[in-house]
Amino acid sequence: MHQFLIRRLSLLVPTLLGMTLIVFLMVRLLPGNIVDIITAGDTSLTDEQRKQIEDQYGLSGSLAHQYWGWLKDAAQGDFGTSLRNTTPVSEMLVDALPITLELVFLGLLIAVVVGVPLGVVSAVRRDKGSDYVSRVAGLVGVSIPSFWLATLLLLFTSRVFHWVPQFAYVSPLDDPWENLKQFFMPALSISVFTMAIVMRMTRATMLEVLNLDYIRTARAKGLPRRRVIFRHALRNALIPVVTIVGFEVGVLMSGAAIIEIIFGLPGVGWNLLQAIFNRDYPLVQATAVLLATTFILFNLIVDVLYSKLDPRITLE
Amino acid sequence: MSDDELIDEERLEYEERRTGLTRAQLLARGVGLAAVGALGGRAEAALGALEAKPKRGGRLTWALEQDPVHIAPFGQTLTSGHWGKEFIYDSLVEWDRNLNQRPALAESWKVVNNKTVDFTLKRGIKFHNGKEVTAADAKYSFDLQAAPPPPGTVATLSQFPAIDKTEVLSKYRLRIHLKKPDASLFGYLAWSRYSPIVPQGMYDQLNPAREGIGTGPFKLVRYTPNDAVELVRNPNFWRKGQPYLDALTLKVLTDEQARVAALRAGAIDGATLSPDAARQFVGQRGFKVLKNYTAAFRELQLTLKDPSKPWIDGRVRRAVNHAINRQEMINKVYGGNGAYSGHVPPGYGPWPLSQKELRTKYEKFDLALARRLMAAAGHQRGFPVKLTTFSTPPDFAALASVLKEQLKRINIDVDIEAQEPGTFGARNSAGSFEWDLTARGMRGDVIGYTNEFNPSNAIYGRWFGDYKNKLMWRRVGALQVTLDQKKRLPIAKALEKQLLDSVLIEIPLIAVQKFQVVRTRVHNMYVAFSDFNTGLRYAWVD
Repeated sequence: MHQFLIRRLSLLVPTLLGMTLIVFLMVRLLPGNIVDIITAGDTSLTDEQRKQIEDQYGLSGSLAHQYWGWLKDAAQGDFGTSLRNTTPVSEMLVDALPITLELVFLGLLIAVVVGVPLGVVSAVRRDKGSDYVSRVAGLVGVSIPSFWLATLLLLFTSRVFHWVPQFAYVSPLDDPWENLKQFFMPALSISVFTMAIVMRMTRATMLEVLNLDYIRTARAKGLPRRRVIFRHALRNALIPVVTIVGFEVGVLMSGAAIIEIIFGLPGVGWNLLQAIFNRDYPLVQATAVLLATTFILFNLIVDVLYSKLDPRITLE
Repeated sequence: MSDDELIDEERLEYEERRTGLTRAQLLARGVGLAAVGALGGRAEAALGALEAKPKRGGRLTWALEQDPVHIAPFGQTLTSGHWGKEFIYDSLVEWDRNLNQRPALAESWKVVNNKTVDFTLKRGIKFHNGKEVTAADAKYSFDLQAAPPPPGTVATLSQFPAIDKTEVLSKYRLRIHLKKPDASLFGYLAWSRYSPIVPQGMYDQLNPAREGIGTGPFKLVRYTPNDAVELVRNPNFWRKGQPYLDALTLKVLTDEQARVAALRAGAIDGATLSPDAARQFVGQRGFKVLKNYTAAFRELQLTLKDPSKPWIDGRVRRAVNHAINRQEMINKVYGGNGAYSGHVPPGYGPWPLSQKELRTKYEKFDLALARRLMAAAGHQRGFPVKLTTFSTPPDFAALASVLKEQLKRINIDVDIEAQEPGTFGARNSAGSFEWDLTARGMRGDVIGYTNEFNPSNAIYGRWFGDYKNKLMWRRVGALQVTLDQKKRLPIAKALEKQLLDSVLIEIPLIAVQKFQVVRTRVHNMYVAFSDFNTGLRYAWVD
């Protein structure tokens, strides 16, 4: 286990290096830079003024020089300052990360807590009414765009209940109840797609597992039905579900941007989107590093969980 | 019609649109008398009588569509940045509701010669920290405007007038020395966007990105990025009796549907919305829909660098101008909410050409004339052209489609390419386009709308190549150096007419309206032409 962890963590460094280089080049290959954004439409700008602004933003010099400068500082934990507001980027992300993590965590929690039991019910009551309802719900879930659902929920509660969640972030440490009220609708919006996938995957794998010999043996031995399903069948059926959940963490973290915008939650996704539009290079690069690191670490956790769920799987 | 009559006519048209009153009603109230400035003042007084008596007290929450990013007074390029700071600071001069210049922190000013202007400050005005405003503070502020420290950027210097230096003559008198005659000085000050006055040494005492001390009607409590700007009344505001509100909160809500939902739920008192979203609130109990023209008129920009292109011929450009049916654009894309625009948008004080002139002459829809012009230029078979525009907001693509449809009638085959704003901005600046469909923005001075026609401007060569027009150049130059605003007006009018009649290296299209929805408890709010939320300075609540 230790060797596995060391090997995987050591791969983190070259992976991140490659990723930062790709992101660095991609964002700079986009036409226009921050100078074009902030001076757009300004017909009185002279070439000298433009050069002065580019120097002010550190956009002079070759790409290699700029990348090396950024990399050196990043290795020491300095990811630079936002070109827009000169705030240290790490400070911005420290504020943003808990918001996104909480949103993703709650979204996944809802997805798993609802999706897994629905999948089990659907598998156990195969071809019955509840199975059909679950399957249709699953289909609807994967079809609904999360941003559409988010907007719909907001408009519904504002129209019917004259209520909307608070649009200013409330930390769970300050007011857990207010925090929960604030995050419920965004988390629900973000969870529906994953919930549907989890439900369908659980159903499929449960159907497979329920037909295996050892389950038949467990029934033949007279074990209670609940025990057969939850203790013996579900545990094996959950392995692919764990894969899905691990993969969805990365998807949700980057996909949360639109939900964050709709509900006024200034998380990582929101910052990344704004940074790309504004060509705020240091913020784009730092956010990409953060998202990639999170994604890699979560997948590592998933792999470790595998071995716990299924003793047949050894970490090599 | 004389220029004064034309101004009068335009003013009446503007007030009709803005207030909804008939011409007879406006005339009965004393609106409609000639003379720049005096007219605006009378209109202001006359229309002021229509509002109920304001109440003091209460809080108002307004939604901002974008985060200010920072609220530093100098070097702020974002319009949203000014939204965050506009209530904290004042300038020496300000605009009234009709964009007439009037004294603010300055009591008066005197043009000593064409390169020297003396300002006399009002006495007894206090900053939020209790310190009195003096000429030394003004000098400090102008020095920072000329060299904005971070988080500001020198990008704002393209708007900075040709100020050489400022000199403190006495405790309340400041002299501005210009490097060359520059009439944009007063508009720059009135715009206030780049010219706040702050206490001497402020930048050493606090973090201007998040904190501020000014003379504005509201004092800053707190700015939380991506969240809100919280303000409270300045009890020592120099305009007696104002502000009416106890507190003002500017809440950042970037998603439009979130703003709609927050309005319905009563979480906010007002917001800017798109025409479609605002339309939901028309006739709804508890809400008022406000609208006004803004400076962001839509315009077709052409590059003339390639001599092989058909539109190098002025007749082709005139044909395009007269083949465009602007009323059809207004109806199809903006639901009838729009006006014809010249190079200076309608509503920009006394400067723009009248709607009558634009509709009946300079921008008259005349397909037969357009076809004759194309034939005379030898292009009756038409030609292809690539038109680039913004991918967002969506009205640009819709407008481009209508334009394509209209120009097909004179056999011009328009190929539309929608671009992400950053890409568009880069290519526009570099002149790497054939035709661009874009929007202009607010300018402090009318010269801001004709700067690109100055051959010494870097953009001139990038867009217009070797295009020569000495009369146009002379007029642009005269507009720049004539400090007397009354003398500038006929120069500006003559230039605008020339640009639309024979030059047409840019083709203005239409002015669009901005919509703001407020709850009925909010009074005296108006949609400011400048695209700021200036009305909140004077608003009051039940």
